[in-house]
Amino acid sequence: MDLSRRRFLQAAALTAAAAGATAACGGSSGSSGSKDDKDLTLWYWGGALSDKVVAEAKTHFSGQVKLTTNSIGGDFKQKLTTTLAAGAAVPDITGIKGEDIASFLPNGSRFLDLNDLGFKKLSSQYLDWKTKLAQTTDGKQIGFPIDIGPTALYYRADLFDKAGLPSDPAKVAAETKTWDDYYALGAELKKALPGTYLINNLGSVFNIAVGQGTKRFIDENNHFIGDQDHIRAAWDLSVRPYQLGLDGKINDNTHNAALSKGTLTTELGAAWHALDIEQAAPNTKGKWHVSPNPGGPANQGGSYLALPKQCRNPEEAFKIISWILNPANDARGFTDAAIFPACPAAYAMPAMTGPDAFFGGQKIIEVFGPAAEAIPASYEAPADAAVMAPYLTELTNIEAKGKKPDDAWKDAVSQAKQIGQRQGVS
Amino acid sequence: MSSPPVTGPAAVPRHRGGPGPTRFRPRRTPPPGAVRVRRRGVLSHWRQYLAISPFYLVFLAFSFFPVLYSLYLAFQRWDGIGDMHFVGLQEFRFLWKDPVFWLSIRNTLVIWVLSTVPTLVGALVLATLLHSVRRFKGFYRIALYVPNVTSIVAVAIFFGAVFSNNFGLVNAILGTVGISPVPWLSNPWLIKLVIALLMTWMWTGYNMIIYLAGLQTIPKEIYEAAKLDGAGPVRTFLQITMPIMRPIILFTVIISTINGLQSFSEPQILFASEAANPSLGGPGQAGLTTLLYFYQSAFVNNDYGYGAAIVWAFFVLIIVLVLINWRIVQRGRKT
Repeated sequence: MDLSRRRFLQAAALTAAAAGATAACGGSSGSSGSKDDKDLTLWYWGGALSDKVVAEAKTHFSGQVKLTTNSIGGDFKQKLTTTLAAGAAVPDITGIKGEDIASFLPNGSRFLDLNDLGFKKLSSQYLDWKTKLAQTTDGKQIGFPIDIGPTALYYRADLFDKAGLPSDPAKVAAETKTWDDYYALGAELKKALPGTYLINNLGSVFNIAVGQGTKRFIDENNHFIGDQDHIRAAWDLSVRPYQLGLDGKINDNTHNAALSKGTLTTELGAAWHALDIEQAAPNTKGKWHVSPNPGGPANQGGSYLALPKQCRNPEEAFKIISWILNPANDARGFTDAAIFPACPAAYAMPAMTGPDAFFGGQKIIEVFGPAAEAIPASYEAPADAAVMAPYLTELTNIEAKGKKPDDAWKDAVSQAKQIGQRQGVS
Repeated sequence: MSSPPVTGPAAVPRHRGGPGPTRFRPRRTPPPGAVRVRRRGVLSHWRQYLAISPFYLVFLAFSFFPVLYSLYLAFQRWDGIGDMHFVGLQEFRFLWKDPVFWLSIRNTLVIWVLSTVPTLVGALVLATLLHSVRRFKGFYRIALYVPNVTSIVAVAIFFGAVFSNNFGLVNAILGTVGISPVPWLSNPWLIKLVIALLMTWMWTGYNMIIYLAGLQTIPKEIYEAAKLDGAGPVRTFLQITMPIMRPIILFTVIISTINGLQSFSEPQILFASEAANPSLGGPGQAGLTTLLYFYQSAFVNNDYGYGAAIVWAFFVLIIVLVLINWRIVQRGRKT
């Protein structure tokens, strides 16, 4: 029996190999061929683009091409990576999330250079710092900016009133110019309203504090700089609310409940976070207001559209994305899906300048518009997100286990160094 | 012995009505007249092989090949799309020095012990109880088995809501009797306890069904004899049920070891990551199991070589633990 089993395995292996080869042939036929195909596919995820604009794009370009759109659920980056690695059934146009774009840049050769297709002429319409984040080191433009996430301070005006503090956006802005002012205000709020907290957790402060600077964890020469003063300053800033007792220590799924119950008096977040608050706490409608981020704005998230090199009709595909993301349509994304446009021209359009009922009729573009243009440009290395993770983890350790902040800092730095080393950072 | 062996049961019908003594004993040589030279090798059984082949083809393509490929990857540095770089044993050296890897091993082992022991003990007790139940048998069996076929994601979300620190059901109930809120989902030990509880809830029913099947094969006569000799229910259980069930218990221990060490979905859903913090496993990474760490390294950090190294190191650990289990459960068999 031994012999025949081995033979069987051989036969099975051959069959499997043959089946695999057939499948591979079947899949790859789509990506080869001429570059003026009439069928184009677009991959995005729910909320990445305005569904209405996408639907209009289909009819708008129906004369030239047939655009098929796929809203991909689950882990988008993972699915895109797998598809690109396989090289088969690659979408002609794909979305890339802001937090993932850096990790795709080393493989810029997998994408088309949008500058070759005419992005150069359009690029001045879009925020320069956002465009740069989607450029490879040799100057290839991989991503076409969809949106950005300028951060601001969301606050409960009604609770501010209750605490006897000024609640008018202009006055709050004046009172929270710096982080020190902001924490001082938090101390007053806490005194007047026991049981409430200024911030939800330390990580949210750290994210923004790092984003307010021009340097992150790894520099352009691929050196680890996460142990330097600029990160240490952001760290100390993040630990302060914990020491002052202003930290809600919310690291689980109770964030929504805390928002709707009024446990949190303020919330630092990007423009798209407005929608999260609205959905988490519809009962607080009209009670929230927005003012500029203490210490200046940072960016959180904001995605891109890219053309993989297998794109079957680059010219038409580029026409489609530049139409979907032209200022007028980008502004509509804000109304339809709270997507904050990456082109400043859109900020003056009626779609964005209207008062927002959830924020008590405040015109929130007056806060986010100037913030968007004031965001500092910084270099984000491919391994940046991975290297940043241990800092956030250690901040959570301080909150959950009462770990000493200095020990947590040391562990975070040594962890971050190791993760960087594993990914080739020196 | 060149002729193919003829097995007992298959041979019996041929001898039905034949000479007495040969009926019950398989014959070493085929009876005269029935001699048939069989074709040997694969071809003679091609239908059977064809019938079972779909599983093996799928297995080869989606399990066997990836397993081998991951071994190859463990010696490379690879971001998933770009070029691979051969780095020798470097990934394993990183692994040795990585405190988070060792933390994840500790987490996994603690969660495994916290879940497997109550699961198996509970399953055995429940099976014994259910074995003696006379009414609503089907209802009890289904009720106890349902958690196992419930979606793990749904169960994890449910547990997350029930054990939520600030607004959970458990803390609300504790609050009515004056106990202050317990930080179920942020204390490092309670995190493990909740994950273990979830796994216990899901797997007790599964093991119970297996034990129940085992109990039903024990002849009633043995119990009757024990009763006549004056053995009480506890003694009967310890000295009759347990020894006879030993092989079945061994099976469940090994399956539970393999399953329990592979906990992944439970902490992943319970402490779903957010874009703001890609670290998985909840506060203090107390729920970071080894498989979750592997997932984070490979699929979140795009460090596929390191991820592969993690799972292969973990594979060795599982083998060692299964062997230890085997020895423990088998021990005392001869005495």
